[in-house]
Amino acid sequence: MSKFLKKSIWVFHLNTGSCNACDIEILDVLTPYFDAERFGVKLVASPRHADALLMTGPVTLEALPKVINAIEATPRPRILIAMGSCSVGGGIWHDTYSTIGGVRELLKILKEREIEVDHVYYIPGCPIRPEAIIYAIGLIKGLVEKKISSKVKKAVRRTSG
Amino acid sequence: MDISPILKNYKKIVESIGKSSFTHVGDTIYIIVEPNKLRELAEILYWKMNCYHRTCVGVDERPLNGHFALYHIFGDDTNGLHIVVKVYIDPEDPVVPSITDIVPAADWCELEAYDLLGIKFSGRKLYRLVLPPTWPHGVYPLRKETPYNYRPSVKIISGEEIGESHDKAVVPVGPYHPALHEPEYFELYVEGERVVDVKYRGFHVHRGIEKLGESRTTYQQVNFLAERICGICGFEHSVCYALAVEKAAKIDVPERAQYIRSIVLEIERIHSHLLWIGVAAHVLGYDTGFMHIWRIRELVMYIAEKLTGSRKTYGINLIGGVRKDINEEKKKEVIEKLEIVEKDLKKLIDTMVSVPELKKRLTGTGILPKSEARKLSVVGPTARGSGLDRDIRRDLPYAAYSEISFKVPVYSEGDNLARFLVRVEEVFESISIVKQLLDQLPRGDIMAESIEIPERKMGVAAVEAPRGEDVHFIITGRGKPYRWKVRAPTYNNIPALKVMLRDQALADAPLTIASIDPCFSCTDRIVVIKDGRRYKLIPNKGGVVLYG
Repeated sequence: MSKFLKKSIWVFHLNTGSCNACDIEILDVLTPYFDAERFGVKLVASPRHADALLMTGPVTLEALPKVINAIEATPRPRILIAMGSCSVGGGIWHDTYSTIGGVRELLKILKEREIEVDHVYYIPGCPIRPEAIIYAIGLIKGLVEKKISSKVKKAVRRTSG
Repeated sequence: MDISPILKNYKKIVESIGKSSFTHVGDTIYIIVEPNKLRELAEILYWKMNCYHRTCVGVDERPLNGHFALYHIFGDDTNGLHIVVKVYIDPEDPVVPSITDIVPAADWCELEAYDLLGIKFSGRKLYRLVLPPTWPHGVYPLRKETPYNYRPSVKIISGEEIGESHDKAVVPVGPYHPALHEPEYFELYVEGERVVDVKYRGFHVHRGIEKLGESRTTYQQVNFLAERICGICGFEHSVCYALAVEKAAKIDVPERAQYIRSIVLEIERIHSHLLWIGVAAHVLGYDTGFMHIWRIRELVMYIAEKLTGSRKTYGINLIGGVRKDINEEKKKEVIEKLEIVEKDLKKLIDTMVSVPELKKRLTGTGILPKSEARKLSVVGPTARGSGLDRDIRRDLPYAAYSEISFKVPVYSEGDNLARFLVRVEEVFESISIVKQLLDQLPRGDIMAESIEIPERKMGVAAVEAPRGEDVHFIITGRGKPYRWKVRAPTYNNIPALKVMLRDQALADAPLTIASIDPCFSCTDRIVVIKDGRRYKLIPNKGGVVLYG
């Protein structure tokens, strides 16, 4: 899929207010049973070393400025992977008082500040399954094709004319 | 056990205070006192009667009786009692005396009531704890007139880095730090290699869950919301909420459902403790241990999926029972798998504790003396590592815990090794509990037949989660909770870090922080950081509105 991520993906894990379930699955996927490290995926300590940012949680107000700092510190090309229902669409927190409601709102804010994000990937699920994370890695590295149901394909064709 | 002499004793105390009311339902005592008598009563309960402080809850009762109310919940664990002390507060000038100088454990919950409800406490320093610094003054999210989806208008500015001068060197840990997988911020003040002071700013994960439970969801839906408080001990929260509502509404839960709840609760404890042992090994640089523990843990996740249909034990608990039954085939498989877990774990733990580096790093670091632990009412393995013998499963049995036998490991050293060993022993205990429960699993229904929840009833329930006791407090309303308050275990344990980190080597700080098994998503459902910030939020007065 993406030309620039054929090799090892180094990721920085950004918990933006999630309940830990997704975060634990991220750790889980790196340990012997699922072993995502065989794809070269590695958690790194600083966003400055990262190719991709793993984002979990609906982005709380308190975390927002820190998240923007971390995203800005990531070198281009920048990839944002939204993991779990909260992050993808805000989940049940989509309109609560102390969150901004998921990655789409965050992208709007980033656009306003002229911080570019080159690719955004979505992994839905509450919590995400380790298999889904591995599938996403495959997708990012171009090992598997994107699965789209024929209904969605038709709808996309219709809207794009 | 006959508790009537104890009740009489409490009644006498309350009568001696004067101008107060005393009621008793099940294992809960309700006391209403005048605000000026609160401190006196708190002192007697906390220090003379040896009660722990569980939490305090601010409630906006203006639609019901025209007042604000504050509930202090104490726990007499030795006699298995919850003691709820209620004070009415004037709605025009909501001021109530603070009890933090008598009960240090009440520090945070008072600040939370101040933040979320605007209840002021006299005789203490008030500052913002839960809400972000940019939150507008005079808007209190838990007051009934504030809608759950109110969002303040803020803007993001980028400023110069402003460093403040300290006479001590500062080591910031977080908010995004490789040793921590959740956003929280510790400021460690160091002299050379020794930590001399520590400041904490958490509450990055405050998502407004209590307000959501009071406004958008129905009784049964809150179960699933409660699971999302925490991804590790979600089922504990769900059970605790269900128990509180069942207590308030006097619903009888079938025995089989009680057993299934206990089984899943223990499975959750096993996976949570294994997770912690792994992370502790990782923090110590013993990655082999970390990888092996998580390999073993995967089997427990398999069991969880088998029993509940989800790796995270989500979605089977309801008020009145559970949604999924356990059949013979599952029973057999769970026992088989647990045997493998037990065998593998024993072998690994034997290896782990014989690694001299590991033992040295754990022994004598992060000491929490018993007196401090008692003062702060710490809970769970942190309390049991410091010689406080308290476990809700034994002291106030819920679900099916009264039917089985188990040991509660207690160590008096109070260091990281003690907490490590408490957790290791608890894993083996839990495995034995699950086996006993599966063995005795009674037949019958798994869901109560009729569920009717009357209005304006109160319920307090506590559940021993892997990190300590969860406390849920509920006032029932029409079709949904009127007030739902959650107290997670880490809430009581974090203030203890200040004691544990002081005068420790800096290198031991991450381990000591990890040793209370902090779970911030539970805690934060809520020290300004001064250094090294580029972007920050400020209240929006004109200018670009990003959202709002």
